[in-house]
Amino acid sequence: MEEKKPLLEVENLEVVYQTDEATIRAVNGISFSLNERETIGLVGETGAGKTTTALTLMRLLPERTGRVLGGKVLFRGENLLEKSANDMRHVRGAEISIIFQDPMTALNPALTVGDQVLESLQIHNTTGKSKEELNARVDELFNLVGIHAERKKEYPHQFSGGMKQRIVIAIALACAPQLLIADEPTTALDVTIQAQVLKLMENLKKELGTSMIMITHDLGVVAEICDKVAVMYAGEIVEAGTVEDIFNGKVHHPYTVGLFNAIPNLDEKTERLHPIDGLMPDPANLPVGCKFGPRCPHCTEECQQGMPYLYENNGHRILCNLLKKEVNNEELG
Amino acid sequence: MGKFVLKRLLALIPTILIIVFVVYFIMDLTPSSPGQLILGQMASQEAIEAKNIELGYDQPFLVRYVKYIVQLCQGDLGTSWVTGKSVLESVFARFPVTVTLAFGATLIGIVLGVLLGILAAVKQYSIFDIAGTTFAMILASFPGFWIGMMLVIVFAQELGWLPSFGTGSFAHYILPWFTTACAFIASQLRMTRTSLLESIRMDYVRTARAKGQKEGIVIFRHALRNALMPVVTNAGINFGTLLGGTVTVETVFTLNGVGTLILTSIRSKDVPVVVGAIVILAICYTLVMLVVDLLYGFIDPQIKARYVKK
Repeated sequence: MEEKKPLLEVENLEVVYQTDEATIRAVNGISFSLNERETIGLVGETGAGKTTTALTLMRLLPERTGRVLGGKVLFRGENLLEKSANDMRHVRGAEISIIFQDPMTALNPALTVGDQVLESLQIHNTTGKSKEELNARVDELFNLVGIHAERKKEYPHQFSGGMKQRIVIAIALACAPQLLIADEPTTALDVTIQAQVLKLMENLKKELGTSMIMITHDLGVVAEICDKVAVMYAGEIVEAGTVEDIFNGKVHHPYTVGLFNAIPNLDEKTERLHPIDGLMPDPANLPVGCKFGPRCPHCTEECQQGMPYLYENNGHRILCNLLKKEVNNEELG
Repeated sequence: MGKFVLKRLLALIPTILIIVFVVYFIMDLTPSSPGQLILGQMASQEAIEAKNIELGYDQPFLVRYVKYIVQLCQGDLGTSWVTGKSVLESVFARFPVTVTLAFGATLIGIVLGVLLGILAAVKQYSIFDIAGTTFAMILASFPGFWIGMMLVIVFAQELGWLPSFGTGSFAHYILPWFTTACAFIASQLRMTRTSLLESIRMDYVRTARAKGQKEGIVIFRHALRNALMPVVTNAGINFGTLLGGTVTVETVFTLNGVGTLILTSIRSKDVPVVVGAIVILAICYTLVMLVVDLLYGFIDPQIKARYVKK
């Protein structure tokens, strides 16, 4: 059997934001891989480094502050971090696209939405298509995302949030990229529209065979459209595996358990919600040892010293000392 | 759009009524005898008084104000007490010089100010940024007449490249233009820099970069276009102000512009010329502002939509 070659491999990626006052360690050595036609969900609270990861893949980190300290981003075997700015320009938008979180501000208010979709096509028009062909493609894209093509002459302010997000999706899909990064694409939308947009993205993904990185803090979204999940906390992936592993697996990282407990359960009658106590550590001043230690109910002295134990079982990886004991116990028993 | 322009033009009427009132009132605060001005020092007291009565100066202020307004509506700005020439003619005789000066200076200010501003914003905290903003601050700190004199000394006296006074040719205007533009370049630079820095950080600029767009196009098509609003406003205000406010530069370069005309008329208490010139400048200023507002519509489709709807 031929081994499937991953489309994207991220190895030990480390990113910081360097300011005069502090060094903010946003992403601390994360690794994951993604095959063709696969969707991975990056889950975690605000500030866990999800968006930073996405921006790093696109090489769109803020120029003055963002620094990649180490690691590789292999896209079809090529390290994107070593590409020249000009080569990278040809990857952005053509092979890897991104959908940003807030559709309200993601579109240029001074240009018609049609022109903004057309722009993507023009930039990557390597085969020398005529203006008519490109415009026909714009119409096609508008139909694809469910907006009447006549509306392409209108400006962003004439569209609702959900419609704007559809246009943003059209821009991202314009050049049929192999990888689509969706950075919380539904967070800024209200619930009914969220479902529509997700459905649309799922359909498009199936139709076009695009791989996707779905950044979200909504576990429901993950369950619906992801194949793999990576749970991020304070710039690390604390648990990774298939959707099956995360939702139905026997062992979990305490943070993942906390995330699931924080979702209100309709079947149970409880007085109050169960949030995870405490706050995400200050990324400029991360704790030694396990980053989740200060908020973890099972934290021991060992956890506060070195890097936690990496549990691995058939691709399900968990970064936690608890599982070391579990493995030991099993061996003993 | 047409309706919007009409509305703005109608708003001109109360503006002008108020301006005339204020100017007329201020000129009336100091005692004046137009008869004396017109007939000269040698005239007899009776003749002067007769002339004053003929001009209506025995009547109360408000009556004269209303009469002036009625005249104004007929397009009559009166005649100068000192020269006896029509006010309209003497103002328009000076107008080309002033407009040329203001227009050229504004153009230089926009081109240099915006270009340096873009450079400063795109390369924030670089040597371009620091040098540009420092240079702008220095330019803005020196008084216009001093810069004018220095330019005359260097380019007219020492190098002999350019004429130092008069209005004969294009070359005559170069020094006055740059002198006037100095302060304007500075304000335009700062305005462009601040505004562009803000729009460069917007999400849609990131979207443009994520499309793989070239950095130059990202800046000009996406960031700058949305940063132009305050820049255009500033240019409009500056141009409007320059129409009446270039007296020092006119004096340094002995240009006969509207500014000098108003100044000499105030000195000689030539009320019709002062009021007339100011009314014309006020109309020009409001028209410039109208153009600025229309430009907004081209920059921001949301504003345009508002014009069209009403």
